[in-house]
Amino acid sequence: MEKIKENSFVKKVGFNRIVLFFVMILMYAFFCVATGGSFWGFSRILNLLNYAYFLGFLSLGVTFVIATGGIDFSIGPVMFCCALISGYCLTSYGIPMPVCLMISILVGIIFGIFNGYLVAYWSVPPFIVSMASMNIARGVASVFTKTQSVSWPQSSAEAGWYRNFIKIGNIPVGLFIFLLMAVICAMVLNNTKMGRYILSLGSNKEAVRLSGVNVKKWEMLAYVICGLLVGIAAIFFVSAYTTVQPGYGDQYNNEAIAGCVMGGTSMAGGLASISGTVIGVFIIALLQEGILALGFTKDYQLIITGIIVIVAVYCDVIARRRKN
Amino acid sequence: MGNKTMKLDIKKKPAIEKLGGQRFIVFLVVVALFLFFCALSPNFRKYTTIISILDYSYYITFMAIGVTFPLITGGVDLSIGTGLVCYSLIGGYLITFKGWPMLAGLAVCLVLGIVMGIINGCLIAIMDLPPFLATLCTCMINRGLGSIVVGGFGISWPAKGAPGGWFRDIFKIDIVDKLKLPLGFLWILIIVFIMSYVLNHTKVGRYTLAIGSNKEATRLSGVNVRFYHIIAYAISGLFAGLAAISYSAVFPTIQPGTGAGFELEAIGGAIIGGTSATGGAGSIIGALIGVFVICLLKTGLPFIGLQANWQQIITGLVLLGAVLVDILKKRKKVS
Amino acid sequence: MVKSMGEVILTMKEIDKSFPGVHALDHVNLEVRRGEVHALMGENGAGKSTLMKVLTGIYKKDSGTIIYEGKEVEYHNTKEAQDAGIIIVHQELNMLSHLTVAQNIFIGREFKKGLGIDDKRMNDETEKLFQKLNMDIDPRQLMGNLTVGKQQMCEIAKAISHEAKIIVFDEPSAALTETEIEELFKIIRDLREKGLGIVYISHRMDEIKVITDRITVMRDGTYVGTLITDESTKNDIINMMVGRVIYEEPKTKSAVPEDAPVVLKVDHLNAGKMVQDVSFELHKGEILGFSGLMGAGRTETARALFGADPIESGDIYIEGKKVIIKNPQDAVKNGIGYLSEDRKRYGIVVQKTLTENTTMASMDDYMQGIFIDKKKEREVAQKYVDSLATKTPSVDQLVVNLSGGNQQKVVIAKWLTRNCDILIFDEPTRGIDVGAKNEIYKLINQLAKEGKAIIMISSEMTEILRMSDRIVVMCEGKKTGEIDISEATQENIMNLATRDIG
Repeated sequence: MEKIKENSFVKKVGFNRIVLFFVMILMYAFFCVATGGSFWGFSRILNLLNYAYFLGFLSLGVTFVIATGGIDFSIGPVMFCCALISGYCLTSYGIPMPVCLMISILVGIIFGIFNGYLVAYWSVPPFIVSMASMNIARGVASVFTKTQSVSWPQSSAEAGWYRNFIKIGNIPVGLFIFLLMAVICAMVLNNTKMGRYILSLGSNKEAVRLSGVNVKKWEMLAYVICGLLVGIAAIFFVSAYTTVQPGYGDQYNNEAIAGCVMGGTSMAGGLASISGTVIGVFIIALLQEGILALGFTKDYQLIITGIIVIVAVYCDVIARRRKN
Repeated sequence: MGNKTMKLDIKKKPAIEKLGGQRFIVFLVVVALFLFFCALSPNFRKYTTIISILDYSYYITFMAIGVTFPLITGGVDLSIGTGLVCYSLIGGYLITFKGWPMLAGLAVCLVLGIVMGIINGCLIAIMDLPPFLATLCTCMINRGLGSIVVGGFGISWPAKGAPGGWFRDIFKIDIVDKLKLPLGFLWILIIVFIMSYVLNHTKVGRYTLAIGSNKEATRLSGVNVRFYHIIAYAISGLFAGLAAISYSAVFPTIQPGTGAGFELEAIGGAIIGGTSATGGAGSIIGALIGVFVICLLKTGLPFIGLQANWQQIITGLVLLGAVLVDILKKRKKVS
Repeated sequence: MVKSMGEVILTMKEIDKSFPGVHALDHVNLEVRRGEVHALMGENGAGKSTLMKVLTGIYKKDSGTIIYEGKEVEYHNTKEAQDAGIIIVHQELNMLSHLTVAQNIFIGREFKKGLGIDDKRMNDETEKLFQKLNMDIDPRQLMGNLTVGKQQMCEIAKAISHEAKIIVFDEPSAALTETEIEELFKIIRDLREKGLGIVYISHRMDEIKVITDRITVMRDGTYVGTLITDESTKNDIINMMVGRVIYEEPKTKSAVPEDAPVVLKVDHLNAGKMVQDVSFELHKGEILGFSGLMGAGRTETARALFGADPIESGDIYIEGKKVIIKNPQDAVKNGIGYLSEDRKRYGIVVQKTLTENTTMASMDDYMQGIFIDKKKEREVAQKYVDSLATKTPSVDQLVVNLSGGNQQKVVIAKWLTRNCDILIFDEPTRGIDVGAKNEIYKLINQLAKEGKAIIMISSEMTEILRMSDRIVVMCEGKKTGEIDISEATQENIMNLATRDIG
């Protein structure tokens, strides 16, 4: 065992992530067998990917926030808010598609700025901010759309080209975009000043502040990045599922946080892994689709995701206890 | 000697402090809001409106009283909203479909609440999970659980007049034709009085405050910190159970999948009433008054032409406002 | 002084305790008798507090025996020790600021009345207790509203209110005023009369001579010896405490040339209660010592100067130019670096690598476009590892795995990388072994020689006398004096440090 851990390749990729990867493979195999083979096949995988895209962007976003030692569980409702407002602009005001996509991202960024400003500059506890902006996002979306659900154009429609973001024909373009974005996020987190400061302030904010770093700015930026990615997630959500209803979206909070924490990002802040988040997201997506494929309802998804988050965070707690 | 200094201190305090500080200001806000809605909308000035404000207030007040305890410890309980719906669904299901007696159904609500509270407490006090995360998970679990037990359909507790329907009279009783007496408010006042005593004059309350003030120092004083930390969440759970009963009694049908956002109203009420979002201080009477700010907004806004959705936005903003006031007060104190 | 020392009540024998990287206690002995005040002395980091924490069950000992009232004991938490009659008054306050004084004193053992707590009786009992101790504090006050000194007195009252047989005072006087100390001594004499064993931790020589019967001296985690107070001189004690370090000759003459330019001028600085009207000048190549008791406002002055806490009024000039410092960024831009006494909280990010910590304050110089130039970054980290002789397997080592002295070097490297001209060292050798201490001293001297201007805050008199070219003394938030090293003695510094102002 120790030998495997010492291997240079294993060390570089990270032992935990390799384990996680195999868990993913095993889970896939399990669902294939348990569903009598119906889980197997390209179309099923495409379905699975649809779920993984938007969840993946949410998860990438929240990874930055958790890296600062904060939390954002308004991301699900905010994603719905982005999709509803931009969709309503499209269907009711006839605003052109590219502008609507920009609006979605913009709404996400505005929420990111709002959350980040309150947390970083006013020291409002992140959970309070999340709770408040979760409700504000729901309210704003409902007010804006007059409590109507919004349906985005089908792929056959003129403005349906936006669906090419997830697949062209049978090529899963979304996967490439998502992985590209993950690489960019990893670069930002590990190779830029912003990433360095975000991780460091998550570990010890006061020491970073006393090094003459504008910690408030960088902490807020983490929330803004999260908002940006939530705005993108909204686009991928409607590309896959077309219709959005006001008042929903909070179950995705837990799933996104689950993907992130499972991948090895520490709830205490300062430690984050983008590659871990990517694998974590695929596991969660696999699980959600798998549960449905086994004939269980969405309610079981909620319970199982809840338990997974608890277990993943507890593992992190134990790891930290051991270090001290 | 000690008495002398104390008297001097009280003299020095401004008049508002004597009347209960923030609580008094919030009370004035409640009165002002009430008068505001009365002035703007003739329909608001009716006895039935007051009854419906009270109907809304019961379950939020129960949750607010309960969640004050975790908030004082420096944590939070986000699971109470979906918890309420879950307990109410299961209790109602057992009564209507399994023929359980009414009393047993009510007991189920309370027991489920306490059990879920203890689970939250263990996750937080023993396993050291961050409170918001642990209770966010149990919030989702509650939602799934309630829906699975009842099979995804709405549940109606026995109506007035039906067998077992007497329980609705606990909160609202007809005295003479059409004139309803909001009995529930009386229970609320009694329970506020009891819990105020528990918070300020019993070990449970004292140690809850102590944990929120300085957990390590409390532990070093030989207090079983874990036990009392769990108790704080168990109280929160118990009150979510009480809230479930009052919710079932007031509203005709309970739908699975709802309940998200209730906790915000309760936590908002508690914080507006002077409970600190960072722990260490709290007030039950304050929670009661704070809840009425939320309830008045919730019931009053539609009367002046704002849809219910606005109420979500405004509740969110009011909560943030209350927390910011708390933070500004602390900053002032430091400097 | 009446000597009525009774039989031995507590014996700690050959106590050994290690933390990762530090041998905190190396076979230490301590013996306490009934009716004696036993001083436990030693410099910071000598292991006094650790020994007491082993006694009261906060730390578990690695080996050795504790015999209390004739029986071998081992406590697993403070509650067990408390129940057995061993009470400790901690150096760091353990108060619950949101509760009242009486509620604090009776936390964990409240009087019951029916289902509730009898607060009235608690208030009455507290009042009685305070009257007995001649303390003028209202039991109904919130703890958070009291001054630090009063809070400390409440802690002491709390300890006394237990059925104690041994009370440990861990530097109780550090935050107390003269009158409060007198009251405290009255209380302690009273307790001695009643036959309690008192352990009194302090490094204020005068107090020790006045109040204690015997003295046990520790140094670097080892037991040096036990003396009878009346039969020993100050010098005996100092020699035992300081050991070889004192023979490293103290500075007698300032090393700063007469014409050295003023780098930093602080004019009537005010920042809260702890920094009142502080003015001083700092020259190029100078080491300016800041002396004073705990809570004298030295750290607060440094933090205000560095922008870590808000400045209320006063001017700061750097190289003659007036600068405005609102936050640490401003300070760093103006070439000020601050090395906190609490490195783990304020100095380093322990879960990050040595390299990352080294470039923390100067990221902009290690960028290539938007990306961090990791190669260049490692090079500079390696450069300072070499020049400061930091002991580490590699520059990629997590700082948490380094020893205290080496962590301090990482913080120094951080500010050198940033090219700071003014360095503020706050207790630069706290928690660092003697060997490493000398290295840090050498380093500070070398930095001064290279033209850096240095402010050194220290509570250790020997450190101040050995390192400083000039000494500023503070007391209760005010500057009480400035002494050139050629005129400085322990006595005149101590005089200024305890001068009661207005």
